[in-house]
Amino acid sequence: MLFGGIDVGSLTAQAVVVENGKVTAYRSIGVKPNPVESAETVIGELLEEQGIRLKEIAFIVSTGYGREQVEEKGLSKANVSEISCHGIGAQWLMPGVRTIIDIGGQDAKVIRMDSSGELQDFVMNDKCAAGTGRFLEVMCRTLGVSLDELGPLSMKARNPVDISSRCSIFCETEVLHYMQRGADKADIAASVNRAMAERVAALARRVGVEPEVTMSGGVAKNSAVKAELERILGVRMLPTPTDPQIVGAIGAAILARKMGGGE
Amino acid sequence: MITLGCDIGSLFSKAVILDDDKLVASKVIETTGNIAQEVDDLIQALCEDANMDRGSLDGIVGTGSGGEFVTEADFLEDEIACIGWAARNYLPEVDLVVDIGGQSITSMLLDGEGDVVDFMRNDKCASGSGRFLDVMSSAVGIPIDKIDEIVPQSTKRVSISSQCGVFVESEVITHVNNGEKPEDIVAGLCDSVARIVTSQARRFGMGKRYTFTGGVAKVKSVVDLISERMDGDYQPFPQDSHLAAAIGAALLVEPE
Repeated sequence: MLFGGIDVGSLTAQAVVVENGKVTAYRSIGVKPNPVESAETVIGELLEEQGIRLKEIAFIVSTGYGREQVEEKGLSKANVSEISCHGIGAQWLMPGVRTIIDIGGQDAKVIRMDSSGELQDFVMNDKCAAGTGRFLEVMCRTLGVSLDELGPLSMKARNPVDISSRCSIFCETEVLHYMQRGADKADIAASVNRAMAERVAALARRVGVEPEVTMSGGVAKNSAVKAELERILGVRMLPTPTDPQIVGAIGAAILARKMGGGE
Repeated sequence: MITLGCDIGSLFSKAVILDDDKLVASKVIETTGNIAQEVDDLIQALCEDANMDRGSLDGIVGTGSGGEFVTEADFLEDEIACIGWAARNYLPEVDLVVDIGGQSITSMLLDGEGDVVDFMRNDKCASGSGRFLDVMSSAVGIPIDKIDEIVPQSTKRVSISSQCGVFVESEVITHVNNGEKPEDIVAGLCDSVARIVTSQARRFGMGKRYTFTGGVAKVKSVVDLISERMDGDYQPFPQDSHLAAAIGAALLVEPE
């Protein structure tokens, strides 16, 4: 039996299909103007690619922005919060995980799970862009580099500059000043990634960090942020055995399997 | 007594020459890279404007985050003390001053003597500051000094729900794309600044008589919306509010 998960985020949307306890296919797209359209597109493209029809999927769970609307539209049969889906997805992929640091496009969450797979506690920042993917996006725009380049670029840093502000708007001014003074982009990139990690670490400390720890969400692909977080928190991050952006959608698909009687 | 006050802020450097408490000359320049040279040029240009010799000044006081660059100063004074002193001089009955600067919002409680008895400052987050208003109104294509020209044409205020400047910028862009009128968006932004400023001032308890200083206090559309939300009497600062700290510094020069 096939089960599906759809996760619509602020910048990207993902769909996954699981069969016999394995992720058999997934797809990720940039979001459309509204969450229902994003969900329709991402699942549509996945089905087409795999040559399967929607009704062949026994049960779909939606999560993320507009997860209720996606269900109302009949695309999913149930909806579950992204906190639960990220926690469940991460534990299914890496059974020893207790703490999940999920950094999305517009928010950051730190989720703590117990050994039986229950959500223990979580903390979330969606009020301030600092410490979210949005911060990195703004800084990349100022630096004139792409998000994908930011991690590798900062690995070349020799003398990271000093970024003292917390506020994204003030950091942008600081970065601009360094650019005007001809500072090395790699040195600025390293400090941007460090500033990012410091904000996320402060959030994580509020809920407590219990090993094993892992990261999900798009920012988990930035190796420099990950390394800085490991350094600040004094932990090793378990590497996600798949694209860290699909962890939420995997959690949704795992819940779909449970709800749809697949186990 | 002829005195000079120099306020080196994060975005602008301001200098004034006073004859007792009468403003003789003032100058505002952007604070950029070579601050020491800029300050020297600023003082020189100001003296030339006032037709005065640098040596004929009775004293110089420096203030602001870059106050130490005013190397000629007799002494440096904290800008909060300077603003409080300026407020007391022109508005002796005022007991609350809210300074809305380029990168900070500061509420100050004054005793009757011009001393600041307590203050609260936000300089960690850009929300509500001059920088915030500048970035947001530019996103609509309206420079900050044109805000008061267009806001009166607004017929409805768009609602801004985020507090973080980065998220507000996205909201603003969405409003622009949805065809909302610039004046309605900017009116919404002014309301958002007023909400943030008032919430800080309110945490202090309300003054009976209050005034506003700092660059954003020149934007009437914002000041009107803050006043709507505040209790007590608003007493406008009678000089250019952007110059308040520089004026306070000049007023603090002590006679020899």
